[in-house]
Amino acid sequence: MKISVRDVGEAKVVEVDGEVELGTSPALRRTLLETLLTAGKVALNLKAIRYIDSSGIATLVEVLNRSQHLQKEFVLFGLSPAVQEVFRLTHVVRIFRVFQTEEEALGDAQE
Amino acid sequence: MGDSPRLEIKFSVPSDPRYLCVVRGAVGTLAAVIGWEESDCRAIALAVDEALTNVIRHAYHNRTDCLIQLECRESADGLEIALLDNGDAPDRSKICARELGCDQPGGLGTHIIKQVMDNFSYEESPQGNRFVASKRLRKTQ
Repeated sequence: MKISVRDVGEAKVVEVDGEVELGTSPALRRTLLETLLTAGKVALNLKAIRYIDSSGIATLVEVLNRSQHLQKEFVLFGLSPAVQEVFRLTHVVRIFRVFQTEEEALGDAQE
Repeated sequence: MGDSPRLEIKFSVPSDPRYLCVVRGAVGTLAAVIGWEESDCRAIALAVDEALTNVIRHAYHNRTDCLIQLECRESADGLEIALLDNGDAPDRSKICARELGCDQPGGLGTHIIKQVMDNFSYEESPQGNRFVASKRLRKTQ
């Protein structure tokens, strides 16, 4: 799994490429929690995630809760079919703000 | 002539997460050969992955030097999966204790297994903890 972070205006975009599972989700958790501390809005691109399990979903839920505690925004975009299937199985899609594209996900934050 | 022989694969999997992708690949491929569509194959591989993850986390407490025996068997009408471990027995009060769609992290693995597989059960024996699951292939005309 590869993770990268880039600045877009006042937001940060986190890109993940690969498989998010028990062995790799701690690295994603660490990156997302650290990134939340340095940006008002964090958008996670899920387009290149080929696999995600319940530990990956738990990571996303934890980061969402932390963002709310910090009064920051954590949004998702570009859900791959693999991610969509697991979101459907776990019924978590309703708790996240999910967008199709990076532009939609960032909104005013990219200006 | 009796029934045709059916595929049965047995793994001895270290309780190390880096081997999970190997199992997912094998189980997904087996499901495809039996006849499931691609999205079902991914779901079945995910369910087996979640069962293995439960063993690694809850039976072996993230130790990576233990073993899990995995058997995948083509049955007359689908697929049977069995996992055997020698770790702590599952705490039945915590299985599916959290509701689906809950905004708290964790507790989703067994919900996924329940949704994907037709049947699953946990058994304890002198040989260890045994998890068994099965899924029928529903053929469309």
